[in-house]
Amino acid sequence: MTGMELFGTWIAALLTLCLMSFLYKDNPLFRFAEALFAGVSLGYYIGITMDQTLRPNLFEPLRDSGLTLETGHLLFAGLVGLNLYTRYVPKIAWFARSSLAIYVGYYVGINMVQKLQGEVLPQAAATMVDLTGGGSPTDALNALVVFIGVLTVLIYFFFSVEHKGVFGKASRVGIWFLMLGFGAAFGYTVMGRISLLIGRINFLVIQWIGGTLQALGIGG
Amino acid sequence: MSNLAKLTSIDRRWIFLLIGLGTLIPVLLPIGFPVRVTAPVKQIYDKIETLGPNDVVVLSYDYGPTTGAENDPMTDAILRHCFSHDVKVIALALYPLGGLTSLTASIDRITAEFPDLEYGVDYVNLGYKDGGQATMKLLAEDFSGAFPNDTHGTPLSNLPLMQQVKGARNAQFAISVATGIFGEWWANLINAQYGLPIAVGCTAVSAPKYYAYLEAGQMLGLIGGLKGASEYEQLVKDNYPNTREAYANPMLQTASKGMDVQTIDHLIIIAFIVIGNLAYFADRRAKRA
Amino acid sequence: MFLKVRLPILLTFFAGLIPIVAFFFKDGTPYVKTLSSSLEQDMVIVSGFALLLGVVNVVQGNVRKIERREKGWFYAIVLLAGMAFMGLFGAAGAMRLFGLPGIGMMADGRPTPFQWGSLYLFTPLQATMFALLAFYIASAAFRAFRIRNVEATILLVAAVFVMLGRIPIGEPLFGPITEWMMQVPNGAAQRGIIIGAALGAASLSLRVILGIERSYLGLDKSE
Repeated sequence: MTGMELFGTWIAALLTLCLMSFLYKDNPLFRFAEALFAGVSLGYYIGITMDQTLRPNLFEPLRDSGLTLETGHLLFAGLVGLNLYTRYVPKIAWFARSSLAIYVGYYVGINMVQKLQGEVLPQAAATMVDLTGGGSPTDALNALVVFIGVLTVLIYFFFSVEHKGVFGKASRVGIWFLMLGFGAAFGYTVMGRISLLIGRINFLVIQWIGGTLQALGIGG
Repeated sequence: MSNLAKLTSIDRRWIFLLIGLGTLIPVLLPIGFPVRVTAPVKQIYDKIETLGPNDVVVLSYDYGPTTGAENDPMTDAILRHCFSHDVKVIALALYPLGGLTSLTASIDRITAEFPDLEYGVDYVNLGYKDGGQATMKLLAEDFSGAFPNDTHGTPLSNLPLMQQVKGARNAQFAISVATGIFGEWWANLINAQYGLPIAVGCTAVSAPKYYAYLEAGQMLGLIGGLKGASEYEQLVKDNYPNTREAYANPMLQTASKGMDVQTIDHLIIIAFIVIGNLAYFADRRAKRA
Repeated sequence: MFLKVRLPILLTFFAGLIPIVAFFFKDGTPYVKTLSSSLEQDMVIVSGFALLLGVVNVVQGNVRKIERREKGWFYAIVLLAGMAFMGLFGAAGAMRLFGLPGIGMMADGRPTPFQWGSLYLFTPLQATMFALLAFYIASAAFRAFRIRNVEATILLVAAVFVMLGRIPIGEPLFGPITEWMMQVPNGAAQRGIIIGAALGAASLSLRVILGIERSYLGLDKSE
């Protein structure tokens, strides 16, 4: 570990401890690290967007090829992007609407296809299967459970009809399926959060303390 | 109020302390619990095993340092597997909040273990790109539409590997290691519209949802959270002896080591849940009496 | 009126229509393909600009806080300083100013200031903020997870099975049932949610494309 890396590791470790101090109680060190967290994250956006997107996809093609038939639309994109910022100028704030319209329009369009062709159709197809289609009896039973589960969950989400009688009972079964899904999600969330904590403790023990000891020539 | 009920009103910082110790002690004194491999993880491993030396895997870093503890061991293990098995890798990042940092760190870390690899021939780092679905549609057809250069600023036309595959649809397999929604887009956009086989390595939080895509055949396999990552590590360690030295490094953070902590902390939390419920029933009985 | 209201609605309609039409003519028609891939390339750029919109909002809010010496104004300075450090070095790297080769490593293997900040400020702060949730989820499980009725019992049992089935010592006993639970009943519940949410999202998309839903433009139905 070089001196610069060790210095960086110490800064990182101190910031980690500042944030962890919130576990005891709210305090100025936590507030400091929290504000730095927000600021650094926003600054990070600026750096990566300018270096990884705007430079190679907008500035360089226009600089290298000039304004041609192929690159003309990039200039248009740049203007559409810049126009988004007119919303901060009260007198011409409505200019930004046109850019927003193109931006939202494109993503809404692609999202519609994605949801219908990429989710509703394959998910529904996987639910509507032939139970006698050659699989084992267990497969058929599982497929039946899935069919009942999907149907009853959809019934639960169908709010146009009052949940009474058979409809109400089916909706209740749907809730059970949902609860099982949410319970599983909770179990997995516990697992995920613990994993993230492991990452930080590992950093403090291995990289910070271990790295410092190694740099000082103590231990392996 | 029963003693058990009193216990439920203890200062939560005692709970924090127990969780803290439950994490710290196994990190300092590893136990080394064995890992059992599940089918969704094995399916990804098996898919890469079927690939040959000229085949290409697209590896998308759709996560940042926030979930690096879960996702880094996945990308590291997948890279070790691909490089050990002579499969070429095109790596890129689509997650804005740190995808590039995670991608670059991981590529640097793993390629250092494989000194014979040649950049541009065996692997490429395309860097990060904004745009989400627009970028994904472009790169599916033609990488250069979204990424005119790699992360070092080299035009894709100068990289031999990028001449081999025009777009991701021409690759043999794509894996998105993701936090949040990006993995879903690889399934419901790239797989759905281009038929490219895909797999996802996701954070544990989003694993339950991904099972629906997995079961519908929209994904070929799933690595769920640190447990899934530890399974993939196990498969790579068992089958590629060249990777064992790296995994034996005490300075390396691995998912397998993390499973010790996971075990202790899960047991602590389950004990909390049991105590909380015993207290709840004791209190209810006392009230009825 | 046309420029302020009708034009944006028309632009939404056409921009939304292009990816839909392109889907139905994926390989056959070069004109559609060119138009759609040009728009996709444009959206990559516009997304970049859009991502940075939030930065302006935050700067405005925090500068106001400092000017008025509102409570916590010192932390507003810290926030802006952190943003300025990363943002200015990031922008300078992107524009290759001050001898910076970009935002990654220098030619001699040392990190650029942006890269240094990414590794030693951004990464630990991001990672720790979410790691703290481990403590709170443990506390929440202790205080709130109660067997009050059938639904709560199913929730609790599923959570405990997953917690046991996904750790090495619980796996031999709980692993297979956890895997079945995740694939079958959980898969069914998630599938129901996905289908329901996807239908809702698709209908909202249609309302936006057809100009029925206009709130994203700051317009109401009467405008």
